[in-house]
Amino acid sequence: MKNVTDRHRQDSWDVEGGGSLAVSPDEIREPLFEGTPGLRDVTETVSGVVEGKPTKLWYATITLTSGLAAWGILTILYTVVTGIGVWGNNQPIGWAWDITNFVFWIGIGHAGTLISAILFLFRQKWRTAINRAAEAMTIFAVICALIFPIIHTGRPWVAVYWLLPLPNQMEMWVNFRSPLLWDVFAVSTYFTVSAMFWYVGLVPDMATLRNRAKNVFVKRIWTFVSLGWTGANRHWHRYEKAYLILAGISTPLVLSVHTIVSFDFAVSVIPGWHTTIFPPYFVAGAIFSGFGMVLTLMILARKLLNLEQFITRKHIENMNKVLMATGLMVGYAYGMEFFIAWYSGNPYERFVFINRAFGPYSWAYWTMVTCNVFIPQLFWFKNIRRNLIITWVISIFVNIGMWFERFVIIATSLHRDFLPSSWGYFIPTWVDVSIFAGTVGLFLTLFLLFAKYIPVLAISEVKGILPGSQPSHTHH
Amino acid sequence: MKKTAGVTGLFHDPDQVLKAAAEIRRAGYRKFDFHTPYPLHGLDDAMGVKRTVLPWISLGAGIVGAAVATHLQWWTGAVDYPLVIGGKPLFAFEPSIPIIFELTVLFCAIATVVGMFALNGLPRWFSKWQDDPHFVRSMDDAFVVTVDADDAQYDAGKTRTLLESLGAEQVREVEYEDQ
Amino acid sequence: MFTAQLDTQIKRVIVSLVVVIAVGAVSFYFLRHPSVMDVGYRPQQPVPFDHRLHAGELEISCVYCHTSVETSAHSTVPPTQTCMNCHVSVKRDSPKLELVRSSFENGTAIPWVRIHRLPEYAFFNHSRHVNAGIDCASCHGEVEKQGVIVQKEPLTMGWCLDCHRAPDEYVVPTREISGLDVDPALLSRAIPQGPTHCSACHH
Repeated sequence: MKNVTDRHRQDSWDVEGGGSLAVSPDEIREPLFEGTPGLRDVTETVSGVVEGKPTKLWYATITLTSGLAAWGILTILYTVVTGIGVWGNNQPIGWAWDITNFVFWIGIGHAGTLISAILFLFRQKWRTAINRAAEAMTIFAVICALIFPIIHTGRPWVAVYWLLPLPNQMEMWVNFRSPLLWDVFAVSTYFTVSAMFWYVGLVPDMATLRNRAKNVFVKRIWTFVSLGWTGANRHWHRYEKAYLILAGISTPLVLSVHTIVSFDFAVSVIPGWHTTIFPPYFVAGAIFSGFGMVLTLMILARKLLNLEQFITRKHIENMNKVLMATGLMVGYAYGMEFFIAWYSGNPYERFVFINRAFGPYSWAYWTMVTCNVFIPQLFWFKNIRRNLIITWVISIFVNIGMWFERFVIIATSLHRDFLPSSWGYFIPTWVDVSIFAGTVGLFLTLFLLFAKYIPVLAISEVKGILPGSQPSHTHH
Repeated sequence: MKKTAGVTGLFHDPDQVLKAAAEIRRAGYRKFDFHTPYPLHGLDDAMGVKRTVLPWISLGAGIVGAAVATHLQWWTGAVDYPLVIGGKPLFAFEPSIPIIFELTVLFCAIATVVGMFALNGLPRWFSKWQDDPHFVRSMDDAFVVTVDADDAQYDAGKTRTLLESLGAEQVREVEYEDQ
Repeated sequence: MFTAQLDTQIKRVIVSLVVVIAVGAVSFYFLRHPSVMDVGYRPQQPVPFDHRLHAGELEISCVYCHTSVETSAHSTVPPTQTCMNCHVSVKRDSPKLELVRSSFENGTAIPWVRIHRLPEYAFFNHSRHVNAGIDCASCHGEVEKQGVIVQKEPLTMGWCLDCHRAPDEYVVPTREISGLDVDPALLSRAIPQGPTHCSACHH
């Protein structure tokens, strides 16, 4: 008889050779855990983070990030009260940092659902160690993203019927023929579905915390939010089905969101934007940037929250492989855009791309190419894929590179339009910089709150893939 | 007033759980359940859990979402306020696809989540078993079997003996406070 | 977990909260509509001018005072001189006319309170409408029956559009009292639909 709750007996399985110990493909592969954690270990490790007192480092960091977020909110208020003339946007660059930041954040929000939905459908078990945090990042990133188009409307308080089909005094409806409106539906659907997906995953873990809570007040909170989950198998049955359906519909959803974001550009007739390669190019870029941000934060969280046992170098290596694959796709798209500009024979198209690489914004273009294409090539080497410090540094470059990608697409395509007399050059104002820095602060603040107060690992999912946790006769 | 909830017991071995589930079912019990920290593969079959209707709810909601999106775009654009924008047709299927897709997913996802909790009778912040001191381990490291006192086969003594014979630990009868 | 009673209570509270918030949000959204907030606006005017008397009993036509309505985008409020055309001899000592007399003597305008306002990006042309045989009463109501002038219609874009789409249902044909000089041929035909594209009013 084996007993998953008992570490010593678990270790002795190797000697006894029970049914589950026949060599399975999982065991030939590198294990997903360091050591042989039991069910109790998972509960203790993850709940320990939530139940313990925050460290001084946590307080210091969150003070800094929430200060930044507060400054961002103040500058947003200043923008709303004064008007968006306080930004650097002006003819011919009507979209600048606001839309750059919007696309940047939405892109980062793509890793979470990719990990939780697509990797789930492909039965990639390593996802369980990172899916909770990645989904949280998705939600926070989409919140940051949504700020920008809303304040770009100039009058957010009436934007509700500019953006949504609500009856209003004009008896007018939103323009369903515009990609900008498709974007409203895509991003709000994405936010709602990601948030529900995340919450559904959290319910069993919050029930675990409820059962452990000592403080009456804390216990009440966990009781309320865990909705009375008891782990009944008849409930798990529907739960697993719901999870599968959500994963199934989120997979096309995550691909659709950045496709539709790319339509904002591709459906217009601006050279540099009017490109059929945009949808797959944007989706690959989104996953690339999302994994970059997941790596940046998870390498730190893994260390600071003592999760090394569950987030191993194998996880980091797997993420680096995804990063390199999507990075190569993005690099291919950069090259193909130039080829098509030449092959099309369209002088305006050619001008935009030559101008992009060698014009006034060439510094931004080559920053982008260096960060997104050249530097990730280091991941061809296995020791680098498994080296945490180098990976972390490269992930920072990816974050920077992907911000520049959106800036390059937007600014270089707009700044020299068809009429040379109206050519311009975008320079951000202090308000532009402050609002972007504010959303970075907001994102990090929300992530820090999450990492401290919400289980960072999907407890029930990790338990389900522990060695010996499933009945031996079923193959999964 | 105290009422009997039924009998509970603890298991630690997933294989044993599967065997016990099949045996309890064979003994004629229908109102029983296993409370586990994570879904156990194969337990549904062993317990004889019927396939949930949830996928049909999701499908229905998805179809409703697609219909709502199509109607919304056609009615607002071509019927209520026909406004020519950029020489485009008032309603065409191709530019309507993104929003039809998004609302299909949105409706489907909401129905799936709401449907899952509703079918499970959640939220319900009260459980008949909550006074059992071992019940809390069901979300930690043990598999808790519960046999409902409402079951036709239920007999405090016999049910306990059955569970103990199947290898359950800490078998006991649990009471709850009826409102 | 909670007791069974608390469970029921929480559910009741949640349902009530959802209902209250939903009803509140919907009411807030729709009660802000100009047909609720603006219709019925009747500020006190500096001079108690009574349209019932002037237009109703004395049958002075609208265009006698609001002169530019047939030729310009705006329908002007009359200058004090127009009042004094009659009031040099009629009711010349009335205390109600004190402000009119001082205005006339000092050359200062009477601070009439404006009621009907459109946003500056909506270009409404009075002459275009009245010359098409649309009576003042279509938008202002029967002014000759109003003691104090009141806003009768919401003046929203939706309200404009209602009439542009189905003029038959809303237009009051030119009346005698308005004093409008409209081609009689226009009055006998059906009023055509107004334009509903953006640049008809926003240009």
